[in-house]
Amino acid sequence: MRKTVKLDIKNLSIERGERDLCCELSFSVQSGDLIRIAGENGAGKSSLMKAILGWVPIEDGELIYNGEDVTQHRDMLLQDQLYLGHTPGIKNVFTALENLKLYCPDKSDRQLEQALEEVQLFAFADIPAAQLSAGQKRRIALARLWLTDKSLWFLDEPFTALDVKGVSVLEEKMAAHLSEGGAVVITTHQPLLHLSPKVIELSV
Amino acid sequence: MNYRSYFKSEWLSLLRRKQDTLNALLFFVMVITLFPLGVDPSSEFLSPAAGGIIWCATALAILMAVEGMYKEDYNDGSLEQWLASGLSISILVFLKVFAQWVMVVVPLLLVLPLLAQMLFLPASALGVVMWSILLGTPALFFIGSIGAALTVSLRRGAVLMLLLILPLYIPVIVFATGAVRAAQMEMAYSGQLAILGAISLVALALSPIMAAVSIRASVN
Repeated sequence: MRKTVKLDIKNLSIERGERDLCCELSFSVQSGDLIRIAGENGAGKSSLMKAILGWVPIEDGELIYNGEDVTQHRDMLLQDQLYLGHTPGIKNVFTALENLKLYCPDKSDRQLEQALEEVQLFAFADIPAAQLSAGQKRRIALARLWLTDKSLWFLDEPFTALDVKGVSVLEEKMAAHLSEGGAVVITTHQPLLHLSPKVIELSV
Repeated sequence: MNYRSYFKSEWLSLLRRKQDTLNALLFFVMVITLFPLGVDPSSEFLSPAAGGIIWCATALAILMAVEGMYKEDYNDGSLEQWLASGLSISILVFLKVFAQWVMVVVPLLLVLPLLAQMLFLPASALGVVMWSILLGTPALFFIGSIGAALTVSLRRGAVLMLLLILPLYIPVIVFATGAVRAAQMEMAYSGQLAILGAISLVALALSPIMAAVSIRASVN
């Protein structure tokens, strides 16, 4: 089982370049929740995620994590989360295995290879990421989900460049994570096939 | 990610991208070879000017090496992962700068004796030049890392970065060449070297913090 988490977002307002991205937004994320942040291009989905994690400044509002106010210092929240952004931090000069080793130093090679197997990259473990396709690079980043014990996942457009099989593998992994008591916050334009998320709608 | 795995990967990526480091070194060698050809190849001119030529070439080569030090991390999303990792950005910056410094300065010191010969630098002054490079270049790298972090999100930030940090390089160059000149005139040079070391220590203490703030501001 994963560590139980509860993140309350209260009256959050974010402003970006003189434009209000969201105003007085409140919702909560707790173990077993799948939250989908929806909205058109430019509605501020990624910014909302980054604001929660603390690197887009917030205008107003509070973040309460497991009962403690983390609005000023997100360290407690950061310890329990795994974030994968649009560009998920995969180095072109490294092989798939080396990329995973950077992020998961405490896992054995066997475990890393197993994770690559889950995302159908085992045959590419020793090929530099520069030679892989966009979808394959994303799979390297997604392989971290099989290796982590963090409870709270923030996935920004994780389905981009994935093929149909990849999407269903990721959905299965998310479902397994939720049933273990984890929580997922996701932004995506694609409808989820097997999961039914709570939707937070942002408008332009 | 932890500090150890980060440092290892930083090292590995520098080794994989050898050509970048090699470019800086090649640039250093070229500036020094072109100087006598362009100005005056006689030993009467070169011998007193050698310290200054070596230091200007060093500063330019280091500028080249640091200018894009966070570019790739910015483009591939690694900087976001730094922030998400919950690790101290200042320590990550320090580790990165340290790895870069070793990669550039060690080969530079290795070719230096040969170049010093070409510039008729007296053998007695070579040691001082090397000490001044060892003590002074950390400051150049640390100051440069602030500029690189500030301009990482700009598409054409190189010129802005030069304008920002070049003035801060001047004291280092002044004291370093001062030490070499003093040594050539057989005067005491330990004072200048001490100041170089002090500048490097101040840069070491302040710049990781400032670079970390700049990185936070650049990534959003």
